[in-house]
Amino acid sequence: MSVISAKRKRAIALLSLTSIILITLDLQGSASTSVLRGTFGVFFRPIEGVTRVITRPIGNAWHGITHYNAVTKENDLLREKIAQQEGAAVAAAASVRLSQELLALNGLPTLAGINSVSAQVIGDSPSNYSQSVEINQGSDSGIKVGMPVMNAAGLVGKITKVFARRSIVMLITDPEYALSVKVINNPEAASPINDPEASATTTTSTTTTTTIPTTQPVSNIPGFTPGTTTLPLTTVDVSINVPQLTPTLTIPANGNLPIRETGILEGRGPSRVPIVRFIDSAQRFGTILPGAPIVTSGGSLSLAPPDIVVGTVSKVNDRIGTSGPILEINLVADLANLSFVRILLYQPITEQVKP
Amino acid sequence: MSARILRFLASRWTRLVLVASVLLGLQTTLLNDMRPFGVMAQVMVLFAACAGVVYGAEIGTIAGLVIGLMYDCVLTTPLGLASLVLGATALVAGLFPYFVRESSWWNKALAVGVASAVGEILFPISQAMVGLGGWVQWHVLVVALVVGVINTLLAPLLLPVTRWTLKETLVG
Repeated sequence: MSVISAKRKRAIALLSLTSIILITLDLQGSASTSVLRGTFGVFFRPIEGVTRVITRPIGNAWHGITHYNAVTKENDLLREKIAQQEGAAVAAAASVRLSQELLALNGLPTLAGINSVSAQVIGDSPSNYSQSVEINQGSDSGIKVGMPVMNAAGLVGKITKVFARRSIVMLITDPEYALSVKVINNPEAASPINDPEASATTTTSTTTTTTIPTTQPVSNIPGFTPGTTTLPLTTVDVSINVPQLTPTLTIPANGNLPIRETGILEGRGPSRVPIVRFIDSAQRFGTILPGAPIVTSGGSLSLAPPDIVVGTVSKVNDRIGTSGPILEINLVADLANLSFVRILLYQPITEQVKP
Repeated sequence: MSARILRFLASRWTRLVLVASVLLGLQTTLLNDMRPFGVMAQVMVLFAACAGVVYGAEIGTIAGLVIGLMYDCVLTTPLGLASLVLGATALVAGLFPYFVRESSWWNKALAVGVASAVGEILFPISQAMVGLGGWVQWHVLVVALVVGVINTLLAPLLLPVTRWTLKETLVG
């Protein structure tokens, strides 16, 4: 009995030691752990595929029971939102095009100049302590570690592990995620300034003479003379009173275009919204207001190219002293319902593997 | 030689790997989609805790380490971390027979639930220990509570499966 116990204790010690060695190797970025995961994946993927097929009806029934009302309500809201945004999207597309042309003219990098790969989200992380998703594209499609991932709304995360035909995406909400961003404070509502010299309101009377061309219609109907019920008048005098509007000069509050402030965005797990830190205490644009858009800052050392939409400021937490405020962020991408994503084939310098 | 291979294939550890593979499949598919109260049920933690409760600390810990190692291969956390956590979970569950002399099905299920909750708390702590900070939050207690309750409810189903899986020999 004691021999068996000693054997078991030896097995426990051996397995524990193996685990510790594997943790050390993985934290050092050793390729052997990736090989081990990849080999396990070869055997496990078929089992997972079969299980997915078998359990899909159960999952669908669960979602049907738990989410039916929410989905119906969401559908109604989405229909309304689509109707609202259809018009705005056309105008926005035109603005984006114009902006890209301007950036290209000035030799500045734009998202349009970066190739991308579309991928489908095939699974979430099977853990409560990891914010990542798995996508169905990998190194075969040119994906590399560090590439930014976005969906139609905005930034989603970055690639952290790449296999031949699948990759792992770390979401923005993961506590390990950090990214340099810029806060674009919209200029305060432009205030019209009255010109005192032209403040008097005048009314001009304008007389317009409109000539309506008259063509005598011809009818083949006997006894019917066309045009007899219409007025024979061919000239109409219309008098219109046009009030003379006060000439106004519109000047933005700060006399400038939207000013930017940079900071670091940090994820804080699924239960808490991401924050932006290290904003200077004395902002160039004054107070940061909730609703201010947050986009990636770009730059040679940044994880993402510039101007990818991340979210908007939801709350500003001021701090005492010289430390700047902490901004809470509402992400534009709905990370709980990711289906399709786009991977920008842009590998940051900081993520490049040295040969 | 062939007799030795056959003996290995018929051993409890081979059965453990096979059953754990099926449960891991459930973990990454069905349980990944169904998240009551926003928390994922942890069937791998449940399996490790069941092993501890049914077969005691030694066999339970070995089973927990093996189950954890398999779970590690699908997680994004450092390889080996879940192995240590599930080993510890099974060890905690394995202490149950020392405290309860005549156990019934319901107090075994309760012990599995408590051990699962402890295991779920150990995950973020171990992550913090290797430098992956940010997960030690109050929310962890909610996660542990939900996982504990779910695993208590699922334990009566998995306890017989664990008993069969880790049985020394299937004959007799």
